[in-house]
This record gives sequence, structure tokens and C-alpha cells, in this order.
Amino acid sequence: MIFGKTKLELKVGIFVFIGLFILAVFVLSIGGVKTWASGYKVNLIFNFVNGVKRGAPVRFAGVDVGEVRSIKFFHAPQDLKTKVRIVCWLRKDVSVPLDSVVWINTLGLLGEKYVEIMPGRDYKNILKPGHDLTGEDPIPMNEVMKEAKNIADNINIGVARIINKEGTVGKLLFDDKIYNELEAAVTDIRNNPWKLFWKTKEKK
Amino acid sequence: MLTRFFILVGSRLISFMYFLGGLGTLAFQTIYLTFTPPFKKDRVFEQAKKAGYDSLPIVALVSLFIGFIFALQTAYFMQRIGSEIYIASMVALSIVRELGPVITALIVAGRVGAAITAELGSMQVTEQIDALETLAANPVKYLVVPRFLALSVMLPLLTLYSDAIGILGGYIICVFRLGISSSMYIKVTTEALFYKDLFTGLFKTIFFGMIIALVSCYEGFNVQGGAEGVGQATTRSVVVTFIMIIIADCFFTAMFYFIFP
Amino acid sequence: MIEISGLHKALGGHKVLNGVYLKIEKGKTCVIIGRSGCGKSVLLKHIVGILKPDKGKVVVDGQEVGALNEKELDALRLKMGLVFQGGALFDSMTVGENVGFGLIEYNHLPHRKLLERIEESLALVGLHGIANLMPSELSGGMRKRVALARAICIKPQIILYDEPTTGVDPITADSINELIKSLHDKLKVTSIVVTHDMKSAYKVADKISMLYHGKIIAEGNSEEIQNTKNPIVHQFINGLAVGPITETLERFK
Repeated sequence: MIFGKTKLELKVGIFVFIGLFILAVFVLSIGGVKTWASGYKVNLIFNFVNGVKRGAPVRFAGVDVGEVRSIKFFHAPQDLKTKVRIVCWLRKDVSVPLDSVVWINTLGLLGEKYVEIMPGRDYKNILKPGHDLTGEDPIPMNEVMKEAKNIADNINIGVARIINKEGTVGKLLFDDKIYNELEAAVTDIRNNPWKLFWKTKEKK
Repeated sequence: MLTRFFILVGSRLISFMYFLGGLGTLAFQTIYLTFTPPFKKDRVFEQAKKAGYDSLPIVALVSLFIGFIFALQTAYFMQRIGSEIYIASMVALSIVRELGPVITALIVAGRVGAAITAELGSMQVTEQIDALETLAANPVKYLVVPRFLALSVMLPLLTLYSDAIGILGGYIICVFRLGISSSMYIKVTTEALFYKDLFTGLFKTIFFGMIIALVSCYEGFNVQGGAEGVGQATTRSVVVTFIMIIIADCFFTAMFYFIFP
Repeated sequence: MIEISGLHKALGGHKVLNGVYLKIEKGKTCVIIGRSGCGKSVLLKHIVGILKPDKGKVVVDGQEVGALNEKELDALRLKMGLVFQGGALFDSMTVGENVGFGLIEYNHLPHRKLLERIEESLALVGLHGIANLMPSELSGGMRKRVALARAICIKPQIILYDEPTTGVDPITADSINELIKSLHDKLKVTSIVVTHDMKSAYKVADKISMLYHGKIIAEGNSEEIQNTKNPIVHQFINGLAVGPITETLERFK
């Protein structure tokens, strides 16, 4: 230990070196190269963001191209409304036309929210770094429910009228008169087929 | 009867206080002496080899099998709900955040901590520690500091090995048994992990290393009564270290849960 | 010069030292005799400062051992060598490293000089050429001599021996006695020898002190002790089973 060098340092050295190598692999692969890749930030304005979180992916034409960096409230005086500004980081090689449609979408099984950008056509006007783009609001679930309730209510009214023997359909279903008359007519014709060809004289 | 109970509880409590006091004093001395010269790197290297390099085979073996087992156990449920791909994330997260650090710490506590207590205990019994003092070598500086440094540096490194090998174990099961594609597994793993998972996992192992070094040295110094005493102290050292590691782990997990939600 | 006055020490609730007064002149050899477990080793540990007195003080070269700080204590310890009863060799190191321990840690001697000093110390105890063995490969007597070599390697002014001749064959025992004498004669070291081997005590002592029940009960040179009137000392030095020492025990039974 004190006299003569052993291979102690070498062994510890190799051990530490490989350990640090693993650390480097972890650090690089966890962060992905995107942390070092250059990009730019844009603002997306929403009235309602349906629970998007920081770090949520941003998809442009269905491809992951960035992530949500921050989410802040602000008050828009012209609309007298509180809105949400989502700052998104996008890869440098992605250019978003100003007529693109932006909304919050839900991904797969776990219901993770992300920002969907459907590219527009007008590549002459593209979104510049730091500029705003207003997104379409996702339809909140309660509004969907409200709509569905309206439809159901209307159906209910119709069904109620039918049950109450009101209106044409109601009478058709519940009134025996037509059936009886029809049956009488059929019996009559069967007994006196000539009646089909007999024409009552009409007074001129 | 009742008084005897209280006397028992009281004496246990007092001996626990002695233990805490002794451990605290040792920790203080060790940290103080770590930063006072002279610095001798040879002894640190020797302990680093014992704690790190020599523990690697068993840590690697256990981690690999933990990876296998964890992947299979997760697969049991994930296949029922038809999302096998999340096995990769489950394996990566559990191993990096919890299993890697704790398993490594427990293995090192059993393997290295017990050896330290036994070694220091026999030195105490055969008066070698007194001999160190008469030769003007501070036993804490000479014996505890190198072990303390070596363990608190080597344990995070061993944990990195354990993490990597555990994930490799999950990879082997998923790719060769469950038919998940290799690139998919790697992609899901890297997406599931964040920096905070890795660093909270590694951060606590520094403290696990310190606990192992301090408790096992403390128990070694306080051996009384020959070979039997050494045996008892070794057992106690391992038990106490296990308990303290688990408590510290719970503490750190709770702390990180609230600090980095 | 070592001066011990009014030293009290209790270990584990048992009073081991109960007011010890002892004075050892520079360059003299003092032998402390007493039964096993009467606190002789505890006394030695107070002199090197491993144990702290409950009461009283130990003064070595004008410095009070119990009142020194870490640095001063280390400086003082490098002037003293303690030969432990069982050797207390560091079994993770080779014999050479053991012997040179004090020098390696504190003097930055060049490597060759270090090896020379180690060989010299080992030769003094009659064991040259074993520097590369491990302590576990040595016999009990050899370990004792290596421990002695370790103590003298730092060229101390005071050497404390804890039962140096116990458990070795008579020839080795005598060579150790010769060694203690020659160190005393040549290097003028102050020595304290704790023993219950009376043959060794008579051979090396300038002064013999008997420790009994935590106190020094008799002092004198070899002849004075041999011709003592004190019945306790008489029983001890002659190794008699019947006498005042054992009677007290009988009475307790």
C-alpha cells in the first residue's frame, strides 16, 4: 500500500471513467439532442387550453417539432377577457404559415394534451419568432354535453307527441280507424271484385 | 411489571441517544478532518477500490436480474390493458428513481459496511486503534475519512452502473421475449426519463454512502469484548445501516416530491 | 521525566486507578509490577494520552498530557513509543510498513533512508530481512519484537513496554530484556516496563513500583523490593498462593 505501486489507481480509474461515461450517455439521451438544437419561440393565444402542461409536445402536421415552454394568463382589453398565452419552442427548420390552424388535442390512452398545428397554405406570411398566433379553442366537454342535451330534448318532445297520439305519426300508430276502414274495403273488394271496374255515374 | 417496562424503554431510549450523539460527533469530526491536511490519496484509492470496483460484479448481477424481474412483472399487467410499450417507461423510472439507488446502497451496506465494522472492530479488539493513536495518527483521519470519501463518491457511480444494467435487463426481456422493437424501447425509455429522475436518484446515494461509512465505522470503534463483540457489532451495523438507508430514502423521496413536483 | 500525581480513573463503574503517585527520572527504567488486571495497562494509556484522567494529572517533560490540544499531543506522542501487549501490529500492512509507520506518516524521508531506518530497527530486535512479510505470517514472539522495532523506529525519548516478555520463550524473553537494557544504556531513553515477570523486572529495573488496588504501595530498587517487609509485595514477588492478596479475596467470598 505504501511501498510499491499496485494497479489500484488503474482499477479505480477505469471504474470511474466507465461510470462517468454512463452518466454522459444518460444525460445526453434523456435530454435528447433537442436541448442543444437551435430553435425559436412563438406565442399561441387561447381562450381555453384544456390543461396543457409545460413540456407538452407541439406537433406540426403530426410531427413532434417542439414543446410548450411556459403558460401565462393575460388580460386582453379589446375582448374584455382573460386569455392564455402559451410560449412554444419550435425547431428552427419549421416555418408555420399564419393561416395555420392551431388547437389543443388529446393523445392516446393516457389522455395527454398536446398542441396540434395544422399547416396552412400561405407560406408567404409565416410566423416570426416572438410573434402571436391565435389558436382555436378546444370545445370544452360541457359544451358538447349541452349540444347533445338539446338534441335529446328535441327528440323527447317528438316522442312525447307520438305517445300522446298527437300529430300524423301519432294518429297513424294509435288510431284503429284507418286500419278498420282499410280492412272493410279489402273485404268488400274481395267479395265484389267487379266493384274495381264499376264506375259510379257522376252527374254532369 | 410496569416500572420494569418503563425502565426498559428508558434505557433503550438513553442508549439510542448515546448512539445518535456518538454518530453525530463522528460525522462532525469526519467532515472536519476531511478538509484538513494532510491529504493522503493512497488510502482513499484503496477504499475506493474495495467499495466501488470490487462491488461491481454483485451490483451488476443483482441489477440485471432486477431489470428482468421488473420487466416481466410489469408485463403481466401491461399486457392485460394492451400497452406493453409502457413497460419500458415503468422499468426506466422505477430503476433510475428508486430501485437502482436503494438496491446498490443495500448491497454495499451488506458487503462493504459489514467488512468495515469487522475490520475496525478487530483493530479495536487487538489494540491497533490505540496503536494508531500512540503513533500520532488520528484514527478518525486515518480510518474513517478515506472510507467516508470513498463510499460517498463510489456509491453514486455504482448506482449509475446499476441503472444502466437494470435498464439493459428490461431491454433484454422486452426485445427478446415480448417482441417490442429495440429502437422503440430506447425511444420510450429516453422519453420517460427526465434529468430530475436521474439526479434525485443519484443525489440521495451520496448520503447513503455517508450513512454506510459512518455507521459501520462507529460500530467498529465501539466493539467490546473480543470476537463475539465483533460479530455482534457487524450484525448491528448492517441492521442499523439498512434501517437508516430506508428512512433516509423515504425522507428524500418525500422532499423531492414536494420540491420538484 | 514523567510525573504522575493523584491519578484516578474509573472504567465501566469500576475504580481502576485510585490515586496513583509515581515519579520517573529521565533516563531511568521503572518497572511497574502488579497482578493481571490491576490497571497497569490503563496507567500506560494515561501516559500516552489515549485515556483521560478522571482526577489528577500526568506530566511528561513538563507538559500536562490531559491538557494538551491535538497537535501538541501528537508532537509529544512522537517522542514516546508504546509496545503493546499483543503487538497491535496493523495487519493490513507488511512488517516494513508497520515498523516505518511513524516515519512514513510524519517525516518525509527519502525512500532509501526510510528503508535503511526500518532495516536498522528490525536488526536491533534481531529480525532483519522480514520487512516484506505480513504480520499474520509471524509467530507471537516475532510480533512482539516487531512491535518493539516499531516503537524504537521513531527514535523516541521514552519507551513504554506493556508486558514485553509475556508469552514468549525464555530465550526471546531474555533477549528482549537485554534489548531494553541496551536501549537504556546506549540511547539514554526513559523506560517504563509493565510486567509481572519478576526475573525480567530484576534484570532491567532501576526502580520497581508495585501497583495494588489502584495505588502504588511499594517502591524501591531491585534489592529493596527483594528484601521487602511488606507482606503483599512479598507474596507477589515470590509468587505464593497464600498471603494477604488472596486473603482479601477469600474474605469477599
